[in-house]
Amino acid sequence: MSTSSPTADKDAISAKVGARGALYQAERILRSMRAYGGVILFSSTFQPIMYILAMGLGLGALIGATDDFVEYGAESYLMYIAPAILASTVAMSAGIEFTFPVMAGFRWRREYYAAQATAITPGQIALGHIMAASVRFLVHSVIFLAVLFIFGVLSSPLAWLQLFTAVLGALAIGLPIMAYISTLREEKGHAALIQRFVIMPLFLFSGTFYPLSNLPVFMHPIGWLSPIWHTNELGRVLAFGQPTSGLMIGVHLTYLVGIVVVSYVFIRRTYIRRLGYEEWGGRTPGAKRAARKQQALETKEAAQAAWQGDAPQPTVRSGLFSNMYSGNIRAVFQRGIMAIRNSTGLIFVSGFLEPVLFLASFGLGISPMLEGGVEAADGTISYAAFIAPALLAVAAMNGAVFDSTWNVFFKLRMTKLYRTMMATSLGPLDVAVGEILLALFRGALYALGFLVILTGAGLVSPAAALLMWITALFIALGFACVGMAATSFMKRFQQMDWMMMVLIPMFLFSATLFPISVYPAGVQAVIQALPLWHGVELMRDIAFWEFSSLTLVHIGYYLVMILVGGTIATYRMKALFLR
Amino acid sequence: MSTSSALDTSAPADSSAAPAIEATDLVKQYGDFTAVNNISFSVTRGESFGLLGPNGAGKSTTMRMIAAVSSRTSGTMYVSGIDPQAEGPRVRARLGVIPQQDNLDEDLTVRENLIMYGRYFGLPRKYLLAKADELLEFAQLTHKAKARVEDLSGGMKRRLTIARALINEPEILLLDEPTTGLDPQARHVLWDRLFRLKETGTTLVLTTHHMEEAEQLCDRLIVVDHGEIMAEGSPAGLIREHSTREVLELRFGMDRNPEIAAALETELGNREGLGYSHIEVLPDRLLVYADDAEAALEAIHADGRRPMTSLIRRSSLEDVFLRLTGRTLVD
Repeated sequence: MSTSSPTADKDAISAKVGARGALYQAERILRSMRAYGGVILFSSTFQPIMYILAMGLGLGALIGATDDFVEYGAESYLMYIAPAILASTVAMSAGIEFTFPVMAGFRWRREYYAAQATAITPGQIALGHIMAASVRFLVHSVIFLAVLFIFGVLSSPLAWLQLFTAVLGALAIGLPIMAYISTLREEKGHAALIQRFVIMPLFLFSGTFYPLSNLPVFMHPIGWLSPIWHTNELGRVLAFGQPTSGLMIGVHLTYLVGIVVVSYVFIRRTYIRRLGYEEWGGRTPGAKRAARKQQALETKEAAQAAWQGDAPQPTVRSGLFSNMYSGNIRAVFQRGIMAIRNSTGLIFVSGFLEPVLFLASFGLGISPMLEGGVEAADGTISYAAFIAPALLAVAAMNGAVFDSTWNVFFKLRMTKLYRTMMATSLGPLDVAVGEILLALFRGALYALGFLVILTGAGLVSPAAALLMWITALFIALGFACVGMAATSFMKRFQQMDWMMMVLIPMFLFSATLFPISVYPAGVQAVIQALPLWHGVELMRDIAFWEFSSLTLVHIGYYLVMILVGGTIATYRMKALFLR
Repeated sequence: MSTSSALDTSAPADSSAAPAIEATDLVKQYGDFTAVNNISFSVTRGESFGLLGPNGAGKSTTMRMIAAVSSRTSGTMYVSGIDPQAEGPRVRARLGVIPQQDNLDEDLTVRENLIMYGRYFGLPRKYLLAKADELLEFAQLTHKAKARVEDLSGGMKRRLTIARALINEPEILLLDEPTTGLDPQARHVLWDRLFRLKETGTTLVLTTHHMEEAEQLCDRLIVVDHGEIMAEGSPAGLIREHSTREVLELRFGMDRNPEIAAALETELGNREGLGYSHIEVLPDRLLVYADDAEAALEAIHADGRRPMTSLIRRSSLEDVFLRLTGRTLVD
């Protein structure tokens, strides 16, 4: 035991940090991850189980013939997709770990600048961040592999080596993103853009749920470019000995390692520029374009005639509910539009892209594995026609739930927008209805975009498309009411994560990608109790123009959601907006 | 809960003739904790009224009840003759609220912040275009009209928050710690703007633990501690009533203060003509309250005591607060 204080020798401190600074930085990030420890553990345990049950067994039952995968060395469809699901889910979490925490470090919470003030160097800050994220990926992979082992879908003794390929793959997709995000001065939806235009397409066209060769030839390069495809292929070699030449294994490894090394060089340079003597503030992409847009708006305003007459009076109502509602929903709606106008327009417009990509990936990739198509009431239909209406329902749910939970909570707790609104003559009901209308408006645009594509591809008739458009809004309203009611009980951000966690299993077990009949009766009952299944089936009833008494049950289910959710949300309005 | 308040709205029906704020036996409890304990006060129109007290005294809670965003546990309250708990939007239409923390809309530009806020009051857009420019001028932010909120300095954000609260030409302006966190120059600019508003007849209600601010801005104030009113009056009146004309601040160095204070108390208490009142012991210094502090200092020197530093100043509201509660305002 030393009697002198550890702070006594300053040069010794500096030497020690010089050697281990990155580890200290990694420790800090891992400790802050503990707040989300429950969510991380839960997701890495249940995600694999959910995917195995839904995709492996559900979709596997639809695909049927197992000998298709013998040529790849797998005994079943489940065995074939398992290593790819491992690689993909780990890679998806890389999309989170290298976007928001980086922005928090540079800008939102400026944690990097706290480290900068110590003996830690900028390069160590960057490396520490990557190390901490790698630990998370490794934990995720260990749990995932354990689950796969229990399900008996790992036949090769080398399967455990997937730990390293999965982490390598996650870094190969995550580090280029980190290299980009770390140059940004402020995040204005760039992370969402990356999610939609980079991660999603790479995930969906990387031969995860089917061999890449199932896709049309012109789409193969997407897979070759995607680090996820290379990781998938390596994983399949390790998990069940997929026959692959040594040259290809070398190509996969070189490609992944190459991306990691090159990205790291860029990241390190950016961190040194921003946190070193140069004090670079980062770029603001689109700033000039935004200024031009602002200028054009002002010119337009200047052309309008000036206000004549006395100062107008604020809008207030008297009579019933005048304490809750002031008759000015429009202002809340307009504020949302104004904020959208100031953000990157691409984000707003591209919202419908996700269902389109899903449709393209599954429609093109799964169809070759099905003999004929999917059995419907009157004969068989194509797989694309089977999933298209369901994907519309899923998109309506995702958008409405995100807007009514995460967005509302963010404005409530982070930006305190509702507190500002409640200082004016607006009532809580104006705010709630305005926000729901805004969510529906956004959903209506997305659904319109998707339906135009479906109609163009001949998957639905124009008449059905029109009815489906209205139905999408009806489904969205149901989820928005329930979402807002649930948000009124939320207190911390971690609780919000749990809520989002409900959505993935709901999607996987909604009979979107395969008919509900593939499941035993007990599982069917559970699926039928969940709201998304009713939305999916309602959409299919309209798309196939086959209505039954069940159609009324589906409609009734959503009416109940709207009524119950709406009533609770109204009752909890003060808890929502006046806290 | 005073559910009967809606019935006995015998308070003046014509809201423009009613006092700005009328609070009687106001109580606010959060579970077992009583944030506001039975306070009554009234603010007349055009008056500048202050709530003075340390953090956690119940000032902000009282402000939230006036601003119609918090319910009261019991008591009555009328803002412009209207019960804020029963008709929130009608009350808020008459108020301009300046919260403790600037909560500007970061998704909008400076000018859009003003226009959008006006839209929340349902004011026509065409009117707001001109009004926003007028307020930008008032807040000395015209050159920043197109800037993003996050690019503004602390003082600019505060001025924008104040300008925003004026968009509906409020009858009553509620200011929660208006100048906390500002540098002295920005603070004086802000005070100047508030003076101008007062001259145009706007009622100001402000909370502060900044004494100079209270003395500068308030016609009348209440001193609040632990949710109760300790004293009420004009700044000068309160000083006259609860303190001596002058104060002598002495530092004797660490740990010696209490012992020296006891000695000084007897020594000074025996002297005539100083107008000596009492001594307060703070961690870092002694405060000797005497009408003639100069003479008191001479007497101390005459007794052979040598303080490390000494300072003579006039009494302030800080001293009133110390006298009333035994605590300093900022601790």
